[in-house]
Amino acid sequence: MQKLRIIKDRVAQGTMFSLTILSILLVAIIAIGLYLKSAPVLDDKSLWTLLFSSEWRPMKGEFGFLPFIMGTIWVTILAILFSLPISLLTAVYLTEYSKPIVRKFVFPALDILAALPSVVYGVWGVLVIVPWISQHLAPLFVDFSTGYTALAAGIVLGVMVIPLMVSLFVEVFTTVPVELRQASLALGATRWQTAIRVVFRKTLPGIIASVVLAVSRAMGETIAVLMVCGCVIHIPESVLDACYPIPALIANNYGEMLSMPFYESALMFAALILFVVVLIFNLLSRIILYRLEKTEK
Amino acid sequence: MSIEAQNLNVYIKDNHILKDVNIRLPEKQITCIIGPSGCGKSTLLRTFNRLIDSTEGVKIEGKVLVDGQDIIHSGAEITELRRKIGLVSQRPCPLPMSIFGNVAYGCRINRMFKKRKQLIYHVQKNLRDVGLLDEIKGRMHTPAARLSIGQQQRLCLARSLAVQPEYILADEATSALDPISSKTVEDLFVSLKERYTIIMVTHTLRQALRIADNVVFMYLGQVIEAGPAQQVFNHPQEELTQKYLAGAFS
Repeated sequence: MQKLRIIKDRVAQGTMFSLTILSILLVAIIAIGLYLKSAPVLDDKSLWTLLFSSEWRPMKGEFGFLPFIMGTIWVTILAILFSLPISLLTAVYLTEYSKPIVRKFVFPALDILAALPSVVYGVWGVLVIVPWISQHLAPLFVDFSTGYTALAAGIVLGVMVIPLMVSLFVEVFTTVPVELRQASLALGATRWQTAIRVVFRKTLPGIIASVVLAVSRAMGETIAVLMVCGCVIHIPESVLDACYPIPALIANNYGEMLSMPFYESALMFAALILFVVVLIFNLLSRIILYRLEKTEK
Repeated sequence: MSIEAQNLNVYIKDNHILKDVNIRLPEKQITCIIGPSGCGKSTLLRTFNRLIDSTEGVKIEGKVLVDGQDIIHSGAEITELRRKIGLVSQRPCPLPMSIFGNVAYGCRINRMFKKRKQLIYHVQKNLRDVGLLDEIKGRMHTPAARLSIGQQQRLCLARSLAVQPEYILADEATSALDPISSKTVEDLFVSLKERYTIIMVTHTLRQALRIADNVVFMYLGQVIEAGPAQQVFNHPQEELTQKYLAGAFS
């Protein structure tokens, strides 16, 4: 009997270890898979043409990703511009001002927002944001807009990352010791001054890392963006232009017309771009956090 | 110019922390609040500058008069109150900025100076007052966290003095320091009593013996005995005080 439980323990350890390794391997397998799949188009075209040409004619075998890359960048920047101030102020309110009872209600609400399927945000964008842009905002600047624009995608995406950002910021801000806040308050500082001059300064690396994580989340978001971005292949010139980010491109086209040479490969290359960028961003935020922890000591 | 508590009761959640505290703290002297751990010394101290407000579920009854004004119920400007009452905490807590930035911080948030030159002069003066200026020559703009812990505590004192308070609250300000730094900081407090009213929480009786002009002895949230140090130490009226001074409990 005694032996059996020890064997069980060993087996459990071994199994869990292999499962852990497997999940890490999965990342590598996906990377290799994407690379192998996109190899044909990479062999055919130079990396430069793929990344910086804006000629997208799959029928003729021309694959320039610039419109999609620019679309992704526009939408992501808009989303962050929109969500960063709101999230930062919300987090400051929650950590520096609010009573515990407020937090008790707000945190679960944020969790629900974060857990909502993105298609729900997409529908909300189509029903509310797109008409609002088309009827109220766009007429102030241009003659006509359908409302399906980079701006709509940015707003929807911004709203989507707010819960994530707020919870990251709250986590970062609560690492600041109470004594530090009290040191500032005891000198006659207001809570606002304390937040700006002490809490922000102390947590700047953490804030940056959180933004980077939110950015990589925003870049990969597909369905909600796809529903409101307009999906027109061109480099957007203003926020009121339609755009076509990479995830939308893949979701819209994969599975269709794959008989075309290189088409599937090109889409896999698009996925690879996303993968690499998200990987780099994640590594960056890790490095920043690591530095933060080191300077703390 | 004094701090006075009248019928002060403080509750945190359901705990009655301070019970009917009535004391008057004389100005330009060092008052030591002594008593065993958990007797409400720090709570009392934090009620004086209302840092207690940030504690969850706190309820204050009675009056605390600072310069004759009730700070609990009058809706007094809390930032101005805190500027007037400096705090030196148990562990030094430098702000995440340079040495200069730490001392200048309070001046900046209170908009004390218009010209940078005045600010620099003021920062130097306060650093000199705590004996740090020469020690940190040339390191004025390096992070304050790199100072030794004793230097940090003196920096915190300089930071408090820089906003020109009238009172200084010290919450076991020397207990985290090595003996030499502890002595330096203690001597500083003694030299500062000419200009400031100092209220010090200490749990080392010997420190109180060395520097106190007045002593407040607390036990389980009540003030048992208060008065001039000579009187309380040499002729304690209450049995509890006698026992505490004799070392029956600590």
